Amino acid sequence: MTDRNGLLISRRSLLAHAVGGLAFALTANRLRAATAPLETEPGAHEANSLLTRVARPLDAETPPQAFTAWLTPNDRFFVRSHFGPPAPELVAPAAWRLHLAGLVERPLSLSLDDLRRFDEVTITAVLQCSGNGRAFYRPKTPGVQWERGAVGNAQWTGVRLRDVLDRAGVRPPARHLQMGGADRPAVSDTPLFLRSIPIEKALHPDTILAYRMNGEPLPLLHGAPVRLIAPGWMADSCVKWLTDLTLQAEEAQGYYMQTAYRYPSRPVGPGDAIAQQDLKPVEAMVVNSLIAHPQQGATLSRGHVMIQGLAWTGEGRIVTVEVSTDEGRTWEAAKLVGDDVPYAWRQWQFLWRTGGPGSRTILSRATDDRGQVQPMASPWNPGGFLWNGVDQVQVQVREA
Amino acid sequence: MSVTNRRHRFRPYALSLALLCAAFYTTGRAEEQTTGQSADQQAQRLLASRCSVCHSTDLVQQQRLPRDRWEATVSKMVHWGAQLDKEEEALLTAYLANYFHPEAGPVVEWPTIPLSGEEPGSALKQAGIATRGATIYQQNCLPCHGEAGKGGMGPKLSRNPILTQADRFRETVVKGRGAMPPWGSVLQAQEIADLHAWLSTLPE
Ligand code: HEC
Ligand code: HEC
Repeated sequence: MTDRNGLLISRRSLLAHAVGGLAFALTANRLRAATAPLETEPGAHEANSLLTRVARPLDAETPPQAFTAWLTPNDRFFVRSHFGPPAPELVAPAAWRLHLAGLVERPLSLSLDDLRRFDEVTITAVLQCSGNGRAFYRPKTPGVQWERGAVGNAQWTGVRLRDVLDRAGVRPPARHLQMGGADRPAVSDTPLFLRSIPIEKALHPDTILAYRMNGEPLPLLHGAPVRLIAPGWMADSCVKWLTDLTLQAEEAQGYYMQTAYRYPSRPVGPGDAIAQQDLKPVEAMVVNSLIAHPQQGATLSRGHVMIQGLAWTGEGRIVTVEVSTDEGRTWEAAKLVGDDVPYAWRQWQFLWRTGGPGSRTILSRATDDRGQVQPMASPWNPGGFLWNGVDQVQVQVREA
Repeated sequence: MSVTNRRHRFRPYALSLALLCAAFYTTGRAEEQTTGQSADQQAQRLLASRCSVCHSTDLVQQQRLPRDRWEATVSKMVHWGAQLDKEEEALLTAYLANYFHPEAGPVVEWPTIPLSGEEPGSALKQAGIATRGATIYQQNCLPCHGEAGKGGMGPKLSRNPILTQADRFRETVVKGRGAMPPWGSVLQAQEIADLHAWLSTLPE
């Protein structure tokens, strides 16, 4: 997408020029250092391969060009930071430990080698920020103004959380697994990023403690050395830099579980008061799709164009993807291609006859096997979570 | 939903301009408020010094919120450790609600403000005052150099040999080095002296 690329480059040079680069220096540094695996030298990666939303701590989304691939490369995978990565020595494989405590028979402290002795599994799964698409809500809601790229699909390798929990022995009345990471806020008055998932999700055989991403050691920005992957659920449950697992009767307390990442269980409008018991934690993903080609703003020659994209959902499967090129008046089925892998996204294609010259909008809409269909715009909610309005790109068709 | 107006763009020049203005108008000193700056200038200085301790201010400028949401957001930040007194909080909230409101559209232009007469970062004349240095450190240096100068993403500053060479210290802070940003347009000479005085009191 040329305009987005252009934005990155000009913003970069202007910034470097204007302020001697506080934001720029940090962004460039972080991107280089952080998308490389911990064990290898940083520097090989293109600095502006991600679209920065917040320079420090880094929040950056995948440029839409990268979505023509089924697996999103590590150095183009979106980055979401609450406080930024911990000091490297805190998560160095030699020093790192995973502590299991709370309602367990045997508290454990596991090294990375201990962890690797459990059965290894690999799962391909979509990871998506629950704020992906927040920028499209009207009225706007506070938070990082993500557009379309706070999502990716990767192969996660690690061990089953269930196996580790079995080793520790879960005791009643454990109902929730609290997760803590090694990242710390700049100022100690800021709440820690403490999250929990219900015990059923923790014991699900597909929920894993991942230490490899697309075959490489988990990169620092993605939670090295170990993060949780709860397939089908939004990334706020997939805690990075994991160090502490606590079994407890209640959900995690504190801002990041009790206030943030909550979604109203009934329709609300801006300004409505919502009772705490009507706000539920954001958990499973909702059905969604993305147009990867052509890119927003592209100029196409009149004739046939192969529209390509991706579709995904939470714990179900994608059954149809439809495309509209007349602003949503009529829809035609796209062809689902590639493998149908649980938790991964599904690729699709649609051969479009452009018709005469002019400006066109292409829309895509996915449906899953639970009957969820993407709406034109998602129901407004105060946190701006779970956007899944139909995807759209505008293109120009020219004669020949 | 309007199919054609959905996309939101953040134009690069507006952001750079904002950072530029902000950078020129930051010292982190509340006393400055009485020296004849406009409320906008004071707010920009607060934004660039107090709000950038934990995150870059692009997170602030990309929001489009009504006044009550700005009030809630700024007060949450104060609760979490942003250093603002009541008066500064009200001033900054008013500024944010004025510029970054829901109807502001994707591009917000910041007013261009003339440079102040005082030459920032100029030669160190006065002796530093350590107690003031602690606050300036907290607001500008802590995220990278850690609590009590013990180091973080930037090197350890407590007992750092550079503290024995006041000129080299000042020059490094004014001009920046590597990933360390230049502070010459942000901090004034007295503030750099205060920082130096405070850092020099720190134990190992
Ligand atoms: C003590 C650290 C700290 C300071 C200082 C600070 N913030 Fe924040 N701010 C945070 C954290 C932590 C978040 C949430 C980050 C996350 O979850 O990604 C945040 C998020 C935000 C957001 C996004 C909306 C939201 O509610 O998450 C806005 C806007 C914001 N801050 C504005 C400000 C402003 C304006 C100031 C200056 C008054 C400021 N911040 C100073 C820590 C701070
Ligand atoms: C964005 C992160 C960042 C911030 C904020 C920052 N620094 Fe630095 N600082 C660094 C880095 C990184 C270095 C090492 C630079 C190099 O040598 O490449 C450094 C180096 C220094 C040095 C030189 C140390 C030596 O061993 O020679 C001094 C002195 C210093 N900083 C002081 C400050 C002061 C005072 C502030 C606040 C006004 C500050 N820094 C804010 C990142 C930062």
